[in-house]
Amino acid sequence: MNQEKAVLKIYRYNPEVDKEPYYREYEVPVDKAQTLLDALFYIQENLDPSLSFRFFCRSAVCGSCAMKVNGISRLACKTPFKNLVENSQGRPIVVEPINFLPVIKDLVVDHDPAFNSLKELGTWLEPKKPIPEKEYRVPPEEVKQYEHPTNCILCFACYGSCEAVMDDPKYAGPYAFSRVYRYVLDSRNDEEHKKEMVKKAMEVGDIWSCVQCQKCIYVCPKGVRPAEDIQNVRGIAAEYGFKDYPGVKKLQHFVDWIYATGQINRLALPEEVYGVDPTPLINKFRERGAEVWEVPKPLPGLLEFRDLILEVMKEKKPHLDIDFHHVRKIDKRVEEVFKADVCTKVTQHFEEKKESFFQRFWKKLGEFFGTS
Amino acid sequence: MLEYDILIVGAGGAGLYAALWASQNPNLKVGVMTKVYPTRSHTGAAEGGINAALGNVAPDNPEKHAFDTVKGSDYLADQDAVEIMTQLGPQIIYDIEHRGVPFSRLEDGRIAQRPFGGASFPRTCYAADRTGLVILHTLFDQALKQGVEFLNEWFLLNIIHNGERVLGVTAWDIRNGGVHFIKAKAVILATGGHARMYWNRTSNALGNTGDGTAAVLRAGLPLKDMEFVQFHPTGLRKTGILITEGARGEGGYLINKDGERFMKKYAPEKMELAPRDIVARSIEREILEGRGCGPEGDYICLDLRHLGEKKLMERLPQTVEHARVYEGVDPVKEPIPIRPTAHYSMGGIDTDKYGQTEIKGLYAAGEAACISVHGANRLGGNSLLDILVFGKIAAEHAAEYVAGVEHLPTEGSEYVKKEEEFIKSLMNKEANENLSKLRKEMGDIMASKVGIFREEKPMVEALNKIRELKERAQKGLAVVDTSKKFNVNLIQTLEFLNLLDLAEVTALCAIERKESRGAHYRLDYPQRDDENFLKHSIVRKNEDGSLSHGWKEVVITKWQPQERKY
Ligand SMILES: Cc1cc2nc3c(=O)[nH]c(=O)nc-3n(C[C@H](O)[C@H](O)[C@H](O)COP(=O)(O)OP(=O)(O)OC[C@H]3O[C@@H](n4cnc5c(N)ncnc54)[C@H](O)[C@@H]3O)c2cc1C
Ligand code: SF4
Ligand code: SF4
Ligand code: FES
Repeated sequence: MNQEKAVLKIYRYNPEVDKEPYYREYEVPVDKAQTLLDALFYIQENLDPSLSFRFFCRSAVCGSCAMKVNGISRLACKTPFKNLVENSQGRPIVVEPINFLPVIKDLVVDHDPAFNSLKELGTWLEPKKPIPEKEYRVPPEEVKQYEHPTNCILCFACYGSCEAVMDDPKYAGPYAFSRVYRYVLDSRNDEEHKKEMVKKAMEVGDIWSCVQCQKCIYVCPKGVRPAEDIQNVRGIAAEYGFKDYPGVKKLQHFVDWIYATGQINRLALPEEVYGVDPTPLINKFRERGAEVWEVPKPLPGLLEFRDLILEVMKEKKPHLDIDFHHVRKIDKRVEEVFKADVCTKVTQHFEEKKESFFQRFWKKLGEFFGTS
Repeated sequence: MLEYDILIVGAGGAGLYAALWASQNPNLKVGVMTKVYPTRSHTGAAEGGINAALGNVAPDNPEKHAFDTVKGSDYLADQDAVEIMTQLGPQIIYDIEHRGVPFSRLEDGRIAQRPFGGASFPRTCYAADRTGLVILHTLFDQALKQGVEFLNEWFLLNIIHNGERVLGVTAWDIRNGGVHFIKAKAVILATGGHARMYWNRTSNALGNTGDGTAAVLRAGLPLKDMEFVQFHPTGLRKTGILITEGARGEGGYLINKDGERFMKKYAPEKMELAPRDIVARSIEREILEGRGCGPEGDYICLDLRHLGEKKLMERLPQTVEHARVYEGVDPVKEPIPIRPTAHYSMGGIDTDKYGQTEIKGLYAAGEAACISVHGANRLGGNSLLDILVFGKIAAEHAAEYVAGVEHLPTEGSEYVKKEEEFIKSLMNKEANENLSKLRKEMGDIMASKVGIFREEKPMVEALNKIRELKERAQKGLAVVDTSKKFNVNLIQTLEFLNLLDLAEVTALCAIERKESRGAHYRLDYPQRDDENFLKHSIVRKNEDGSLSHGWKEVVITKWQPQERKY
């Protein structure tokens, strides 16, 4: 029999008696445990029955057993013990409660705040009227779109790894926004309720605090991709016309400036997003002898470039419409600075081109299906 | 003191759905108590699907569904209850669909349905292979929407009644420690099944320990048909973790060591899709007769390789994951080692077709209850339907009942005191026994002697052994962790004591039923015997702790018993 043993260094804390948390080491025979959860059971049954941790399904569907293992959030029941031992290369395996949720005892953290976020964001379905007598008709492709977010088991591994949670305690958490996205994609959901959810994601959940570190995707045991879902919800927020949020304004800035000039404008960004007057900054640059471009110089061939953008946006559902009002203002400033008549009649230009654009589009379609 | 009009114990499919319907009436104070957070409940593990005669892919109707269910039950189901369930089936599916369950779809956007064992049509609605998960989570989301009040991580101890009406329950607050009396005009028990009595050979979660069912037994009320435990044919060899019936529904083969699709000997027409009891027995027989696979010949192979990687990943992703993590086998390349695993408790709390027990205001629903719609054998996909239909009916019935009664005057301190003393006695005991050893002994006894093949002598031995275990536990099983907060040791000990009580009842009923029917298969009485045993078995506990066993008539409406052949 294989007598190899591994050392687990486990976070212990019982607020009834301990002034502060401490770590205790336990030796577990490697072949006594298929998963890390089995190893914890081994300790509980043979070495220390007072060790507390959560478990239920032992098969990665209930979300009870997320904990921090060598610094990374994982499900104990889905972590093969042998691999863990091999990867630890003789060092103790450190097991701790997941981050950012209050510890109740040992590895058990309070899940209430995490569940409450769902309630606060309103992540559920309000059936769209009229409610059909039988089922709503939902294309299989749509169901596929929310397949990965509906895999979520609310284990909160992602929450415990999230950079945004670390900085912003108000941040609802990756899983919560995946749930928002799942219900926004659902064609059975009432449109007003969807908007409400997205609005709450911004106002209550601080969705713009996500720094896109992608850790949530990395740690999720069920293949959910919160970071992507968050990007999509942000886009949808803009699409819904929620323009009055810094994040949306930033997006709008990117789209409009790139459309107008081919580049973003770092100097105008603070003003457009936060309403901060850029003059002191510009003056500072000038004082130090830096070259300051109040507006970026438009690319040569800009009009063709714009056509291209319009075409792309028509094909791929745009997350943001170009704000032509804004673009016209940018064009004006470009004109003033460069005394060049590059783009005064943008909208007019688009109107003219639109017709030929659609003609080309239909022609392409026709070719594709072999009709004239 | 906590006080509710309706207290629901359990937040799986049955408990949550009951809560949604009970809390429709804003004047009622409804609470849901659960020992784990609702989304942890075992309903989330259900993979294959939920039956209803929608007729979306084949002409079907509730009557055919009812007949299949009755036939599958080996005629032990109460036919009036079965008809209620199958009639309401489509309506219930549409209701949860309107609440957001993301069912898999047909090309035209209607709910897809697939074939499942024992059904004459593709009748099983599904969401890939995580149907239970999405139903549980959708119901939970809806409960948040309706503002349902939860007592999360509270453990039911006992049911308090005065012989006529229920007064409430006693419970342990797991997070903070401490016993409470919770007053309620009505209590709905939705505490799930008890297949963990087979400890290492079950597909069930570690907490499926029949706590509500055991509490009912302690309260002097009857349990029904406890001998009937369904063994699912395909559990992973090492852990009992389930490989869904969907794997066979999608076309998987069962193969013995000679590479033979042996089901052709046992069910030539339905083959791998014959009802579970038949498939499970066939596998067990192959193993017992020396045709098992592997060096020890102790398992059978489930071969999915011919389905191809694409279909496997698309239709059975969870199956693939389970085989990889818990068995170390990749089903795309290798067959999966499987053997039957205790899966579902047909028996449970004796109720009528509204979920009512003998005590006014005390209801049961879901796997904890025995109404009975599954009789001697449950069809795959019928349990998820059962828990929703009868969760709703119990809730509506309870809501009507509480509207017409007042709370009984009681402070509950005497009940609290009694529980505290009991828990103290567990903690003050000298520890001579080890919980995990006793638990394993119980599981081994039940699996080897009251398992798939049963016989008088071994079962009597099993009953005596279980009684011995009870005595040993009584004398020497102590709760060694004496802390209050999140005391896992205490909870596991209480759960084990519940399992022991139910194992005793199961063995007793299995001995008394001297025939073979559905999941109950006796080598010494291989035939069904309608003359003597077309009856529900009933057990209750007497004041002195002894058990009395009796019988109750089966309700037959349209379908006279016939031989059950597939
Ligand atoms: C692996 C697996 C797959 C399955 N697949 C299918 C399928 O495809 N189709 C199908 O129809 N059926 C399937 N079943 C059966 C079905 O899932 C269950 O019968 C059903 O989900 C039971 O639901 P429930 O609400 O009655 O109980 P559960 O979901 O088990 O919920 C029980 C609830 O009671 C609570 N509880 C228990 N004890 C206490 C206590 N002492 N104090 C407080 N609360 C307590 C728990 O916290 C939990 O919330 C499957 C079962 C298993 C094991
Ligand atoms: S990508 Fe965003 S949500 Fe995900 S972990 Fe990083 S900060 Fe958190
Ligand atoms: S998204 Fe993944 S990691 Fe986060 S709670 Fe859901 S399952 Fe867990
Ligand atoms: S025990 Fe359920 S996810 Fe680990």
